[in-house]
Amino acid sequence: MPTITYRDALNQALKEEMERDANVFLMGEEVGVYQGAYKVSRGLLDAFGEDRVVDTPITELGFAGVGIGAAMVGLRPVIEFMTWNFALLAIDQIVNSAAKMLYMSGGQIPIPIVFRGPGGAALQLAAQHSQAFDSWYAHVPGLKVVAPATPYDAKGLLKSAIRDENPVVFLEGEMMYNAKGEVPEGEYTVPLGEADVKLEGSDVTLVCHAKTVTVAQRAAQQLAEECGIAAEIVDLRTIRPLDTDAIIRSVAKTNRCVVVEEGWPFCGIGAQIVDYIQLYAFDHLDAPVLRVTQADVPIPYNKRLEKAAKPSPERVVEAVKQITYLD
Amino acid sequence: MKRFPAYDPPEYVDWQPDAELSAEFVDTWYRDPERRSIVEQLNREPKLDLYRGLLRTRLHDITLKRWVRHGIISKAWLGTGEEAATVGPVHALNRRLDIVAPMIRNAGACCEMGMPVADMLRGYLGTYDSPSRGRDGHVGDLDRRVLQPISNIGIMPPVTVGIALGFRLRGEDGIALTWVGDGSMKHGGTHEALGLAVAQHLSVIFIIQNNQIALGTPVTVHHPPGTFESVHQAYGVAGWSFDGNNVLDAYAATKLAVRHCLSEAGPVVLAGETFRMGGHATHDEQEARELIPPELFTHWGARDPIGLYEEYLKGDGVGPHVLERIESEIVQEVEDAEREALSSREASRPAPESALEGVYASYSPSDEGSERVP
Repeated sequence: MPTITYRDALNQALKEEMERDANVFLMGEEVGVYQGAYKVSRGLLDAFGEDRVVDTPITELGFAGVGIGAAMVGLRPVIEFMTWNFALLAIDQIVNSAAKMLYMSGGQIPIPIVFRGPGGAALQLAAQHSQAFDSWYAHVPGLKVVAPATPYDAKGLLKSAIRDENPVVFLEGEMMYNAKGEVPEGEYTVPLGEADVKLEGSDVTLVCHAKTVTVAQRAAQQLAEECGIAAEIVDLRTIRPLDTDAIIRSVAKTNRCVVVEEGWPFCGIGAQIVDYIQLYAFDHLDAPVLRVTQADVPIPYNKRLEKAAKPSPERVVEAVKQITYLD
Repeated sequence: MKRFPAYDPPEYVDWQPDAELSAEFVDTWYRDPERRSIVEQLNREPKLDLYRGLLRTRLHDITLKRWVRHGIISKAWLGTGEEAATVGPVHALNRRLDIVAPMIRNAGACCEMGMPVADMLRGYLGTYDSPSRGRDGHVGDLDRRVLQPISNIGIMPPVTVGIALGFRLRGEDGIALTWVGDGSMKHGGTHEALGLAVAQHLSVIFIIQNNQIALGTPVTVHHPPGTFESVHQAYGVAGWSFDGNNVLDAYAATKLAVRHCLSEAGPVVLAGETFRMGGHATHDEQEARELIPPELFTHWGARDPIGLYEEYLKGDGVGPHVLERIESEIVQEVEDAEREALSSREASRPAPESALEGVYASYSPSDEGSERVP
């Protein structure tokens, strides 16, 4: 099976979906001639022409809305935000137009559209450029929120997102674009709303998504080597709809859980997951569910400060030791 | 038309024809050879259709006003005085191909695109058989090529541009038309929409409907020039203005915009001067009278788009009995619609559990979402 980058996996998904369906088109800043700020759209302008790979002015609020209008008349737009940090104005369109139109029109107007781009922290880009808005979008009924961690999932989930009849917020990451992984040749999709057990284990469940999957994997390795603890890693892949069954199944097996996420702690994704666990797996728990998040501060610039503010394998290990009463 | 002292602005109740204004009504489009030729090509029937549209729009609003007064609904957003800026442009479109994105004040556009008045009224009542199944007070119907208004003004123009982009990508000839108020003209979304429409050479007609006031802020406070006739120049696109109380000028100016879109591709920005003859909504009618200088009401009240057009039609040889016949037909249409809508109020109340349906596709509304009264 070929090993490719997360970036190329997304590129393959876009190319294959644009070949499959003439209604699919890509629009955003620098997606055409420049082939994307992170080169996700490499080769697409040449392959599909400027009608289907549309360069826009710096107008996130505007082109998010343009995508929604195009979706209303039968197209399947993929809107690229250079980063989700630049898309705060666009949240007006995503929340007020895309998420609500189907409901408010009594079912007349579905909005099949994908908003995608990198979010969260990269490396020393400081507070305004390092934000994980996963929970903001997941809060809104009418949106689906997807955050793949591996090239395989990135390709399969993007294809599903493009084919979905609903608006999908698709969260990538600058630091993930170079990540490599095996991706089969030929057609496959990964369904939205299904978590994936990335590592089986019996002692503790680590719930994570996107960048924190790597964090959990490193922590799991350390826990196995240093403490003989077998962690199970549940990669959510889709935040909304959330695969609560997968979480509960795992917690029922391990009786312990740490939720790891990139965003801030207050009202974060982990808060929602902890709520589900206390509701559906209360009797299975042998210890409180802990959360590892980024610090409750704007992400600082200095490398040392930035590292201290991000969720890390060390903090996950620490949390696991706490709930297994090893420390 | 018959005036309604209980609901019409006082300036309309006492409205009298004015020879000078009647002459000006004709001169506005007559002095421009292109507009003159467009109006002269209009046969009697399309001219009378414009009249029907104006009456339908006014009577729709009067019905809502009466409902507010009687406590049937709590408030309504009306287009009184601005009917010509809505009706004229819609009639200039190809209503089988083009799509309109009205603001709530352009409710007349929905009817002129073919939505039944009863559906408009059901929208306010929020019945399950209203176009939105009771989920929104705004109504649209994409089958009739009307986008349901997005109430956050300023974010609808980009969506309208997207509709035009959709037309192009799908190889369709349609034009997308939207209205932008003097208030929403200042929204970043409107600015971005204009920029995107220009960059993509899309067939979009933006009508800046300057009704002189936001909620209570006069246009000159947020846009010191006071008019928008040269705004299009800032975007490097075609644009011209029209008299927003003159249905024939609004029609002709939009017809020219349609021709421009079809022949040269690219957006057109129209600026129509008009005036909101009341409050932002029914709840601040009195406040509007206190805030807005009375001379503005006097000036624009004398330019009632319906009164002016009736005088024109009479001068054009339409006998008073024809106008009366048309008026009674439209009165009947709106009264029937009112009756129909009010019967839905009881017969088609949304079942509370239907609130939980249809957040995600696939969703098809069913009769089960309606609470049937035995």
